[in-house]
Amino acid sequence: MRGSYQTRTIKWALHYGILLLFVVAALFPLYWLVKVSITPNDILYKQGTDLLPSKLSFEHYATVIGKSDFLLFFRNSIIVSGITAIASTVLATASGYAFSRFAFRGKFWIVGVMLVTQMFPLVIVITPIFSIFGTLGLTNSLAGLIIIYTAFNIPFATFLMQSFFDGIPKDLEEAAMIDGATRFKAFVQIIAPLTLPGIVATAGFCFTGAWGEILFALLLNSSASASTFPVGLLLYSTRATIEYGPMMAAGVLALIPVCIFFFLIQRYLVQGLTAGAVKG
Amino acid sequence: MTVLYTSAGIRRRLAALEPYLYSAPALLLITVTTLVPIVIGISYAFRNVMLLDPTSGGFVGLDNFRDLMRDGSFWGALKNTVTWTVSCVAFQFIFGLILALLLNRPFPGRSIIQPIVFLPWAIPTFLIGMNWSWLFNPAIGPLPHWAYALGLMSAPDNILSDPQHALLGPIIASIWWGTPFFAITLLAALQAIPSEIYEAAEIDGAGSLERFRSITLPFLAPTMVVTVMLRTIWIANSSELIVVMTKGGPADSSQIVASYVFTQAYQGLNFGYASAVATALVVLLLIYALLLVSIRQTMLSSR
Amino acid sequence: MIKKLLLAGAAVAMLAAPALADTNLRFVQTNTSDESLAVLNTVIKKFEAENPGVKVELISIPWDNSFEKFATMIAAGDIPDVAEMPDNWVALYANAGHLENLEPYLEKWEHKADLNPRALELARKVKDTAYVLPYGLFVKSLYYNKKLFAEAGVAGPPKTVDDFMDAAKKVSALPGKYGYCLRGGSGTFNAWAMMGAATNGDNAFFDKDGMSTLDQPGWVAGFQNQIDIYKNGWAPKDSVNWGYKETVAGFYTGTCAMLDQDADVLAPTSEHMAPDDFGVVPMPKGKGGKAFPVLSYGSWGIMSASQHKDLAWKFLTMLDGPQTDPQWTKAVGALPIFKSAEKDPTYADPKYRAWFESLDDKDIVPTVTPGYLPEYSLFAGSTAVKLAQQALLGQITAEDLSKQFAGILTKAQQKYLAK
Repeated sequence: MRGSYQTRTIKWALHYGILLLFVVAALFPLYWLVKVSITPNDILYKQGTDLLPSKLSFEHYATVIGKSDFLLFFRNSIIVSGITAIASTVLATASGYAFSRFAFRGKFWIVGVMLVTQMFPLVIVITPIFSIFGTLGLTNSLAGLIIIYTAFNIPFATFLMQSFFDGIPKDLEEAAMIDGATRFKAFVQIIAPLTLPGIVATAGFCFTGAWGEILFALLLNSSASASTFPVGLLLYSTRATIEYGPMMAAGVLALIPVCIFFFLIQRYLVQGLTAGAVKG
Repeated sequence: MTVLYTSAGIRRRLAALEPYLYSAPALLLITVTTLVPIVIGISYAFRNVMLLDPTSGGFVGLDNFRDLMRDGSFWGALKNTVTWTVSCVAFQFIFGLILALLLNRPFPGRSIIQPIVFLPWAIPTFLIGMNWSWLFNPAIGPLPHWAYALGLMSAPDNILSDPQHALLGPIIASIWWGTPFFAITLLAALQAIPSEIYEAAEIDGAGSLERFRSITLPFLAPTMVVTVMLRTIWIANSSELIVVMTKGGPADSSQIVASYVFTQAYQGLNFGYASAVATALVVLLLIYALLLVSIRQTMLSSR
Repeated sequence: MIKKLLLAGAAVAMLAAPALADTNLRFVQTNTSDESLAVLNTVIKKFEAENPGVKVELISIPWDNSFEKFATMIAAGDIPDVAEMPDNWVALYANAGHLENLEPYLEKWEHKADLNPRALELARKVKDTAYVLPYGLFVKSLYYNKKLFAEAGVAGPPKTVDDFMDAAKKVSALPGKYGYCLRGGSGTFNAWAMMGAATNGDNAFFDKDGMSTLDQPGWVAGFQNQIDIYKNGWAPKDSVNWGYKETVAGFYTGTCAMLDQDADVLAPTSEHMAPDDFGVVPMPKGKGGKAFPVLSYGSWGIMSASQHKDLAWKFLTMLDGPQTDPQWTKAVGALPIFKSAEKDPTYADPKYRAWFESLDDKDIVPTVTPGYLPEYSLFAGSTAVKLAQQALLGQITAEDLSKQFAGILTKAQQKYLAK
């Protein structure tokens, strides 16, 4: 007997009740963001604490799209994040596979090095990176950002992909290799397709990571043609004032693609990590 | 002509190289773009490097580290870093665990609720910082007024300008942002536990708390150690929320080591000293990581 | 035969030359407001039209992070031709040899005589050489909210420091209102310096031996005033963290009644307040009937690594000439550097009178902060902020604060003098 009807109802009420709290907590700040973006300037401060402004206006969206370089920044962000996602995932798939399948000399040290790269405050490495990129002609370019984002994403992406590969039994490619295929062929044609959810999840993770990065985007690039949207948002903070209306409008516009994207792939993240978790 | 190498021998040699070949592209990229700059960065710690002074750069040995030991601001920042990291990780873990437990079994509406509660992870941190600053400001945000109405505060003030509570602001923002990460990984780990084990335990008469303690936790533990370790390292190093929300103030009450590095580097332009601070942080995090890895090994071997 | 070849070669070279003359002049600046960009784009278009083959690449960097952004660019070799030089950057870049010496260019400049002598004096603060061409002056004056004053029963704008403290007290008695928009966060040192100098009766930061004067009782009294203002609740509790933007917003939303700032606040304030609701007067006078408002300036510089210095100077003189400069200063809220421009109709607006009065009044002595010290940027940007916040919060006393200020500045000054 699973417990009385009363106990079950209480359990479900609690279940949905707590979930509701989480949902509200997750959405409330985002709601505020949207609210500021549709509040006209004259009542922005006067009705700042009201839940709903007395009048709505899309003037900030018009300002952002019409009077600034926002569309250019947005396009740059898509290019940078997209290519970063693809590059990181490809490289991480290869290295994740290696970590999953092989026990090789130096594995401990390589993992250690990858870990250390995550520990160092980015601020210090910016100047050396800038100098190196300068000599390579990569400063003030989208390519420079892509390279550095990929490098920083690889450690965690590798960990993710390794986890997904751990969930696929080694026998599969071993059977293929006995049949005469090279490991590489087995990898590309059999194993990788099986981890498609994992690949999608890793790509999505790298995309969202690159999308919001601001430190390098601000310090490595200067011209508008090589700036991403976080820099665009910062430009709304002028010397004299912070133009919250357009800034939040630009923020909302920039969030739409990444939210949709994340909405779609989050399921695969769970799915893929589950498989890997079995092998711990 | 003598055949120096048999084809089998070549294949065996190549096979031994295989793992390196697969990981080479990734490693090459990381080495050139990250490792080399980090080594250069660490080298600054042993030199007197003032960013805009071309005559600086001389070797000073351990001087920067000696200054570090005597620097009250550094130790204050270190204390804050511990508070910051422990609070963020602990609460993100707890809320993430609760969420994961709630989402573990299918229920009507899960496919909509799940993406919504995971959404904060997709928002860029600096935007989150600005957003929450706005929410905490009594002139333009509702939170102080609600806190006052609920009796949590004696007056609707901005906690970000209160030296006792300034760090709380970024901590709350960080919890909001980071809970989905734990929820996702914990959920994945939970779903990997075979349901037969639970059913067997239920038949044996174990209550839900007992099942949680004796089945769920041990299964979760090893994977979670790695996740917690990674997150701790990230959080210890992430100064964005703090820099955006409080700039480390007021009076350095919310300054952590990572944001202190930023101040020394970009307001003092003293890259040598900033590097020393950064290196100290890396050393501490390395010790922490090694500790956790050995804990994990112990857990795995005892399983 | 060879002569013919040479002639042909020369002809080809001459034909190719215009194509090679497509020069890119890189121009970095930090004002991203709509008005500023409008002025710049007009000047750039005019310059490009008058100089075919030349393109001016305008690089606008966000003001909040401009210091680190520009420092990173220069440190890594990504050096523009022309750059805006906020006054507290000049010593840093000039001493490191990044700024071109502009004296030879100034010598030959037709408009040099029209320059306000103070502008040139400020430009020559580093090594007595002009490393920059100023575009405008910023001097602090006191904005006050007429409506709040009337409500609180304050007779008129404060003329002395005592009036100021009294007005702050009265306005703060109104529920939810405060007397002073205190800037406790970034940029706070200016306010402490002004108040301290006023109560001290003298604004010299150092005595003739290069020791800082900030720990003297006159200055300490001023620091105590600031602390009292915060302690008594005459400034909003939040203001301990307030930077430029928050104080300005505090003023134009009517939260606090008095603000010490430059003319660049006129624009945002006029957007949010009716012209009759606020006024501007020179900074209140202290001991000896004197006031010591902080004087700063904005300027343009030519980077010494530039390959197009003459062209850069040509661009600068168009941007900073007697015709265009007033448009620029209007957009950024500065006072013009040309004597002729002071008669420009914009500056006839009574609201600007306070600043011109400040520049003309003998009892108002402008204060120039010791930006020539290499350590000043860390001091003003971070150390002074932290110490000031500790004082406001009651963690250290005014005496402690003054001793720490004096200690740091003396050390820096001694080091500077020894060189």
